Amino acid sequence: MSTNQAIKVENLNKSFGRGDTFVDVIHDASFTINKGELVALIAPSGAGKTTLLMMLGCVNEPNSGTIYLGDEKVYENRWLTKETRKIRREKIGFIFQAHYLIPFLNIMDNLTLLPQTNGVDTKESQAKARELLHYFDIADKESVMPSQLSGGQNQRVAIARALMNNPEIILADEPTAALDMSRSTAVVKMLKKIAVEQDVAIVMVTHDDRMLEYCDRIMKIEDKKVVFEK
Amino acid sequence: MIHLAKEDIRHTLGKFTVTAMGVGMLLGIVLIMIGVYRGMIADAEVLLKDLDVDLWIVQEGTLGPFAEASRIHEDLKYTLKGYDAIEKCEAITFQNIQMPKAEKQISALAIGYDIYGAINPINPHRLIAGRVLKSEHYEIVVSDKTLFKLGDKIKLGRNFYTVVGVTHGTVNSGGDPLVYLSLKDAQELQFTYSNKRVQTDRARGIINRDGHLVNAIVATVKPTYTLNSVAGELEKWLHKSVYTRAKQKEVLTKFVVEKASKQIGLFTVILVGVSTIIIALIIYTMTLEKMKEISIMKLIGLPNFTIVKMIVEETLLLGVMAFVFGNIFSHLIYDKFPKHVQLEASDALMLFIIVVIASIFASFIGVKKVISADPTAAIGG
Ligand SMILES: Nc1ncnc2c1ncn2[C@@H]1O[C@H](COP(=O)(O)OP(=O)(O)OP(=O)(O)O)[C@@H](O)[C@H]1O
Ligand SMILES: [Mg+2]
Repeated sequence: MSTNQAIKVENLNKSFGRGDTFVDVIHDASFTINKGELVALIAPSGAGKTTLLMMLGCVNEPNSGTIYLGDEKVYENRWLTKETRKIRREKIGFIFQAHYLIPFLNIMDNLTLLPQTNGVDTKESQAKARELLHYFDIADKESVMPSQLSGGQNQRVAIARALMNNPEIILADEPTAALDMSRSTAVVKMLKKIAVEQDVAIVMVTHDDRMLEYCDRIMKIEDKKVVFEK
Repeated sequence: MIHLAKEDIRHTLGKFTVTAMGVGMLLGIVLIMIGVYRGMIADAEVLLKDLDVDLWIVQEGTLGPFAEASRIHEDLKYTLKGYDAIEKCEAITFQNIQMPKAEKQISALAIGYDIYGAINPINPHRLIAGRVLKSEHYEIVVSDKTLFKLGDKIKLGRNFYTVVGVTHGTVNSGGDPLVYLSLKDAQELQFTYSNKRVQTDRARGIINRDGHLVNAIVATVKPTYTLNSVAGELEKWLHKSVYTRAKQKEVLTKFVVEKASKQIGLFTVILVGVSTIIIALIIYTMTLEKMKEISIMKLIGLPNFTIVKMIVEETLLLGVMAFVFGNIFSHLIYDKFPKHVQLEASDALMLFIIVVIASIFASFIGVKKVISADPTAAIGG
């Protein structure tokens, strides 16, 4: 096992429903994603991008196969831990199309909620949050509410939130879909920078081909199979 | 550490406070109703306390004048005086009367007592003006609640009675004011028939000799005797029902106030139930409004405990705030009620415990919603 491996998937299968409602989504997927890599995941709507991401993120349970996160085997035909949520909050950062910040918490609290749940000292998590807000150029916004920020600013806060727990993996489901071209490019460049600087593996779902040039590899779901391009 | 419940409530403070005030009013009414019950018990005991007697001798097989009609001969008191165990004993009458005042009628409970007797139902500490009765005829002492003043003349039966004394805090279990008459006047009011009736009775050969009836004989027992055995003894010899002080209090609370307490108890249960449902619904809708955030919290890995804690704390806080508002509300309005409302800290404490337990129950449907929430619901597949 190389220490560079962030995600390793072997013979992963996922289908929904039974009988008439049966849909086969992912069939026998095997791949490895390394630390520091920004991987784009592209496929038509309904092909299973979100489903795959949620399996990698220990949110949705596959039907069979094996998943390693880092060197830890987390799934082998069943979750190997009862606390998949603990894996999520300690190892994974999530970014979505919408920012999904908690509206009744100010920016600082939105950022420090998860690390504090992980037992990180308040001062330490606040220092980390300030550092990230500075990095994302919204240092002066720590005590405002999400409703007082623009969409782009909130999305940057959401990305900062995904970084707060020093994740090994970031799973981003269409993080740029709600942004204009220049902001999208900025976000993707930023993700690339984060991947390299923080040695994080990032899987980013996108529908925008213009974003692909910033990505290291392109992963596709074609006819239920996971394949790579480039 | 970030306090989710606190931040969420701060975010929806107005709605939260208004809800707490609304539920608080319901709880305030609960407190008032318990207060009415306490007031009734306290009022019922005024007369017992003021009389301060050990034994009540009433018509055989009856519960005594507080519960039903009881007629007994006044002469019995002379028989009683012959008993060794009896220290003092006097005849006493009770009757509900209407006193005309301007256009209105004022209901009162009239107590007739022997003004030369050893037992006086007028507690001198409660006398706020005038004096006790001194003449055997046409004098009356009234409770200030009747609004009569010293010197007022009140027509009762065929005669006018002059107010010679005013007492304060003297009411019966129904909240009606007490008035005091001499035994003779009271007997006349209660037991004499109209002239017409007397005439027809005489024509039929019936001679009315019932002028010396009373409703009860009250007595105190010498300290060296035990109350219960004296009561048992008397019951056997006199063929009357004899109640001790404690038993009479029980009659008052159990038979007289019981119905009221059941009614109030039922109302209380319903109102607490309604409050619980309101709290539960509010918390449930507050939880529903947060479902997206709750999904996301679950998705990014916050444990259920953190989220459930927020819901339960919000519910408890709503309950506690409502309780505080309820107390403020009840203290603001309790003296506006016509009946005596007696708010007691122990009742409030009991209600507090009930509210806390009810709030925990009320949080259940919200908590259930949190636990069953799908983490991927918000991101929409
Ligand atoms: N909980 C579920 N139950 C049943 N079927 C599901 C469920 N979640 C997803 N699916 C099905 O799985 C397939 C893949 O869905 P998924 O959301 O992963 O697609 P996607 O590639 O993310 O699409 P989009 O680009 O529109 O977001 C779809 O056919 C969808 O209907
Ligand atoms: Mg999707």
